[in-house]
Amino acid sequence: MAKARDIPGLAPELTYREAAARTVSVRAEELFHHAAGVLDMSDIERVHDMRVASRRLRAVLEIYEPCFPRKQLRGILDDVKALADTLGERRDPDVQLAQLDEFASAVKPADRPGVEVFAERVEAEQGAANQALASALADLEESDLRGRLAALAASAAHDDRDAHDDPDPYDVRDPYDDREPHDDREAAA
Amino acid sequence: MKARRVKGLDPDSPLADNLQRIVAVRLDELCSFVPRALDPAQVKALHDMRIAAKRLRYILEVAAEPCFGAYALTAIKRTKDLQDLLGELHDCDVQLPRVRAVHDDLRAADALEARARAGGAPDLDPTLASGTPHAEAWRGLETLAIYLEARRGLLFERFLELWRAMERDGFRARLEFAIAERPLAVTPPSQDGNGASPSAVVASRAEIDG
Repeated sequence: MAKARDIPGLAPELTYREAAARTVSVRAEELFHHAAGVLDMSDIERVHDMRVASRRLRAVLEIYEPCFPRKQLRGILDDVKALADTLGERRDPDVQLAQLDEFASAVKPADRPGVEVFAERVEAEQGAANQALASALADLEESDLRGRLAALAASAAHDDRDAHDDPDPYDVRDPYDDREPHDDREAAA
Repeated sequence: MKARRVKGLDPDSPLADNLQRIVAVRLDELCSFVPRALDPAQVKALHDMRIAAKRLRYILEVAAEPCFGAYALTAIKRTKDLQDLLGELHDCDVQLPRVRAVHDDLRAADALEARARAGGAPDLDPTLASGTPHAEAWRGLETLAIYLEARRGLLFERFLELWRAMERDGFRARLEFAIAERPLAVTPPSQDGNGASPSAVVASRAEIDG
């Protein structure tokens, strides 16, 4: 797993808003850095690295949520969550197949045909998940997620939030108020 | 599981104070699953506790090093261990019914095959039920199901041990203390060559305020 890049100048006394701008910029760059070759199913670590980058980005978007214009954040957060889910749906069968392979190697030969039957189903899920990921990546390219993230980070540095979006700064929206990321494993594992 | 609302966050106040509020809520959320999650039958509570551990870990990964005392870094590892263990346990809970479903599908297909072999016979000859197309596969699937069930039991015992160890070590109290600490800024080297300590000294919030 790729180590997260340091955020330059992050310090306790920095304003929450400034920290948001700096952190989102770095985490967004990390996400796109790991997008290269992610559809190559012969190297499953690429998906893993991009998935980790997506969950790091999602986490900081949620942690710094009060620092961003709500409407601007909403669409981006939905897209990042959807991407993280899609990456998870690709990653889960990768992991499962590796575990099944290990299991099949450890048990008696008579037990292997059954494990292979199950593995074939997981392989089918893996292929479908890779197609879904290709489609998701194309959508994000088209909607310029990268550019929108850069604009979001820039907006955090200034207090230009719509007063109607968040009238009470001491009663902010729950930063984790909707879907769980895919690694909740309910769907795919 | 919906996370609890964090109140009092202010974009124009210091980063550490805001992150401290979030961690405090996430920590309380995690601990609220005990004692419910200590019952192996409480599948949902165990799953929700894993999500709570994940949320706590993520905020600590952002906040621990720049903002809090040293124990916050240790807490990342403890929280990750907990999340990983509960994740493995959850994988067993999810995978087991899937394996059983495949087993049942194959068995049903073989029953149809045995019936087809009987053709128009007045009753089924027992020999027609052996050597069906998926007979070999059942065995492996049953072995896999047994493995998952047994592994789930073993992982749950490990979870209990881990949680008890965290309680014994004062995980909650120490993390609550650590998030109230702030690392002191490292003094830049002076012109006479006396360098500052390479590691940031941590002072308690009370010391800073005092």
